[in-house]
Amino acid sequence: MRQFRSMVYPYLIWCSIMVVLPMLLILLYAFTGEGNDVTSFRFTFANFIRFFQDAVFLDVLKRSLVIAIWTTIICVLLGYPIAYVIASGKEKSKMFWILLITLPTWINMLVRTYAWMGILQDEGLLNRVLGFFGIGPFHMMHTTFAVVLGMVYNFIPFMILQIHASLAKMDKSLLEAAQDLGANSVQSFMRVTLPLSLPGVLSGITLVFLPAVSSFFIPKLLGGGQYVLIGNVIETQFLTSGDWNFGSAISMIMAVIIMLSMYLTRKVDTDPAANGRRRS
Amino acid sequence: MKKLIQFKNIVKGFDNKIALKGINLDIYEEEFVTLLGPSGCGKTTLLRILGGFLAQDEGQVIFDGKDISKVPPHKREVNTVFQKYALFPNMDVYNNIAFGLKIKKEPKDIIEQKVNRMLKLVNLEDYAHRGVMEMSGGQQQRVAIARALINEPSVLLLDEPLGALDLKLRREMQHELKRIQQEVGITFIYVTHDQEEALTMSDKIVVMKDGEIQQIGTPTDIYNEPINEFVASFIGESNILQGVMLEDRRVMFEGRKFDCVDEGFEKNEVVDVVIRPEDLDIVPRKEGKLKGVVKSVLFKGVHYETMVETKIGTEITVKMKVSDDRPVYNEDANEKISANDFYLDVDDVEELDDATIIARADAQAWDPEADELISIKEVQYNIKKENGTYPVTFSTAAGTSVTVNMIVKDENHVISEENEEEIFAVNFFKKVDEIQESIALETDLKTWANASAWSLEDDTAVEITDVKYDFDAAHIVSGVYDVTFATKGYEYKIDTTDYHEVGEEVGLIFQPEDIHIMSRPS
Repeated sequence: MRQFRSMVYPYLIWCSIMVVLPMLLILLYAFTGEGNDVTSFRFTFANFIRFFQDAVFLDVLKRSLVIAIWTTIICVLLGYPIAYVIASGKEKSKMFWILLITLPTWINMLVRTYAWMGILQDEGLLNRVLGFFGIGPFHMMHTTFAVVLGMVYNFIPFMILQIHASLAKMDKSLLEAAQDLGANSVQSFMRVTLPLSLPGVLSGITLVFLPAVSSFFIPKLLGGGQYVLIGNVIETQFLTSGDWNFGSAISMIMAVIIMLSMYLTRKVDTDPAANGRRRS
Repeated sequence: MKKLIQFKNIVKGFDNKIALKGINLDIYEEEFVTLLGPSGCGKTTLLRILGGFLAQDEGQVIFDGKDISKVPPHKREVNTVFQKYALFPNMDVYNNIAFGLKIKKEPKDIIEQKVNRMLKLVNLEDYAHRGVMEMSGGQQQRVAIARALINEPSVLLLDEPLGALDLKLRREMQHELKRIQQEVGITFIYVTHDQEEALTMSDKIVVMKDGEIQQIGTPTDIYNEPINEFVASFIGESNILQGVMLEDRRVMFEGRKFDCVDEGFEKNEVVDVVIRPEDLDIVPRKEGKLKGVVKSVLFKGVHYETMVETKIGTEITVKMKVSDDRPVYNEDANEKISANDFYLDVDDVEELDDATIIARADAQAWDPEADELISIKEVQYNIKKENGTYPVTFSTAAGTSVTVNMIVKDENHVISEENEEEIFAVNFFKKVDEIQESIALETDLKTWANASAWSLEDDTAVEITDVKYDFDAAHIVSGVYDVTFATKGYEYKIDTTDYHEVGEEVGLIFQPEDIHIMSRPS
C-alpha cells in the first residue's frame, strides 16, 4: 500500500491548484475591498454589509430561492410518478425509458435552452400549435413560467434517476408482505414504498435545488434581461461591473445558504430512520 | 376435522414451462402441512397461488367452501412468512408486528396489547423498539412470524422460512414453529426442500416433483412406505435395488428369495426394493442373509455409515508387462531409439496408420547428447486382420532402428448378463519409469489399458469405480502384473454403532418388515 501512496501527489497538487486555490481566492476577494489588486488588500466586511443593506439584492435572493423551490417541488411531483412507473415496468422497457430520459443531457444545456426560446416565443411553436386549436396566443417568454419551465426541463432527469434508483433497489417482496398483511395498493404505497424511496427523493431534491438556485443562463435566456436571479447578479459583478470583491461575497453568501439547505436535507433524511433505526 | 382448503386441478405455467400439472390437494383445519420437494418442483408456486400473489391458469382454490381465485391478497384470510422475511426496514420490531392492525385501524391500546402478546409468543419481549435490520436472522424470523400471526389468520403460509439460518438455529426454530402452531391452533402450510424439517414438524407431508404430487401422508407413512423410488430417495437415505415379486409376501433380489410383508403385486412383477440403512445390521458372515465386503466407513457422529458390497460389479483383468529395456544405441549416428510391444484389438487393424502405431508403441528416437528428439522416418510392418503377433520396425533417416511386436487379440471384452454390462480393456506394456512417474496411477492405468464399460441396455457409459493391482508403484521391477478393472456392484449403506474395518467380510441381516416393495415407474 505504502508505495502507492506517492501516486496520490499529482492529484493532490492538481486539486489544490484547480479547486482549493480558487476557493481561497474567492474567500480572499470576498473579505477585501478596492479592485482586483491582490498586493495591497485590506480586510473588510463592506461587501457583505452592502449586500444585506440593499433591498434590491435581497429581493433578487428571495426571488432566486422561490424559483428554485418551485422548480424542486414541480420536479418531485412530476418526477416521482414517472420514476415509479419506470421502476414497476419490465426490465427491457426500464432500460428504454432511462435512456430516453438521459438522452437530452447528452446535448449541451445551453443549446437545449435556446431550443425552448424558439418554442416559447410569441410567434413560437407552442403558440402556433395552441392557435391551431383557437387558444392563445400567450406571452410566455421572459416570465416566471418560462424560467421555471426551463429549469424543470433541465434538472428533472436528476430527480427521476435518483428516485428510480431507490425504487428499483427496493425488495419487491416488501410490497407482497404489505398486501399480505391487509394493505391495499394505496396503503402499501404510503406505508412502505414512499418511506423507503424517501432517501432517493431527498438526494433528488439536493441535485435539483442546487443548480436551480445558482443557475444564471436559464433566467438570462428564458427570463430575458429584466428577470434577474442571484446567479445573474454574480455573473454581472464578475463580467460586467468588474467588482470581483462584491461578486465573491455574493458567492460566499450563496455557498452558505446551499450548505445550510444541504444540512437540513440530511437532517430530514436521517429523521425517519430514527424511529426505525438503520435502513440497510 | 374440517376441510379448510381445497386445491382443485391447479395448473400453472411460466413461459412455456409447466410449473404445476393439475394439483388436487385438501388441507384440514389445524394441520401442519409441509409441501416438500426439490427446487423447481412447484411447491412455492402452489403456496403463492394460495397467498394470492400468482393466479392459476386452470383450476380452483376453495377456501372455507368459497372459491377465492379472484380475491386479491389483502382480502385473503391467510398470512405469509416470506423466504427472506421481507420485514419493513423503515420500521422497528413493534411497528413491523403492528402493521396489519394499523391497516385495520384498530385502537391503539388494543394494538399494544396484541403486539405485546405476540412478542411474548415469539420470545422477543425485550426487542420491541429495536430496528429490524440490527437483529440476527433467527430474531428476524421470529418478527416475521409474529407479524403474520397477529392478524389471526386461519392459515399461515411459510415459504422456506428457515433456509437462511444455520443448522443449530434451524433445529431450534423447528421446535419453536411446532410449539407456536400447537399454541395458536391454526393451519400451517410449510414449504421446504429439507426432508428433515418436513419429518420433524409436519402432521402431513405432500411430496412434490416436477409440478406433480408424488405422495401425501404422515411423516411415518412417507418414511416407511414410500410410494416410488423418488420419494424413497428424497426422504431419508435408502438402499434401492431391483427385484422380482414372486408372490404375495415373497420377493427375490440378488438372486435370493426373501420373505416380506407386501402384497398386491402381479406375479413376477419387476419391482424396486427399499431397505433403509438403519434397518440393516452387520453380523458375522455365516449368519448373514446377504454376504459382502466392507468398502468404506464414514463416521457420522452418532453412528458409522458403512458401505458393504454384496456383489462385485463387472470385472476384467488385463496383463501389464513392465520392462526396463534399454533403448537401441546407434554409435555411428549417435542416436538412440526405443519402442514397446503393444496389443491391438482385431477391429482396430483396418484403421491402423503409422501415427497410431508410433503412439501405441510409444516409439521415439533421440540424440542422447543434445537430448533432442529425432523424427521416425519409417514404420515397416505387415499385418493381417486375425489374431497373431506381427513385428513392426521403426527407423530414423540415419538408419537407427528397433523392432517390436504388435499382438492382435479379440478377447478383450467381458459381458455380464446379470449386470447388463460390458467392460473392455487391453493388455499393455509399460516401462518401469513411466509407472514410477505416474501422478494419478489409477487414472493412468485406465488410460493405458483403454478401459471402458457400458450398459447393454442403453449403451450409456458405466463408470469404472475400481482399479485393483498388486504392486508397489514406487518400487516396481520388470515383470508381468495383473490389473483388474471393475464397475460398481451392489452396495448397501448401513448405519451401525460398531466400527468395521474396510475389507472385512461380513453378513447382513434384516427382518421381513424392513423390506419395502414399490412399483417401478412405467
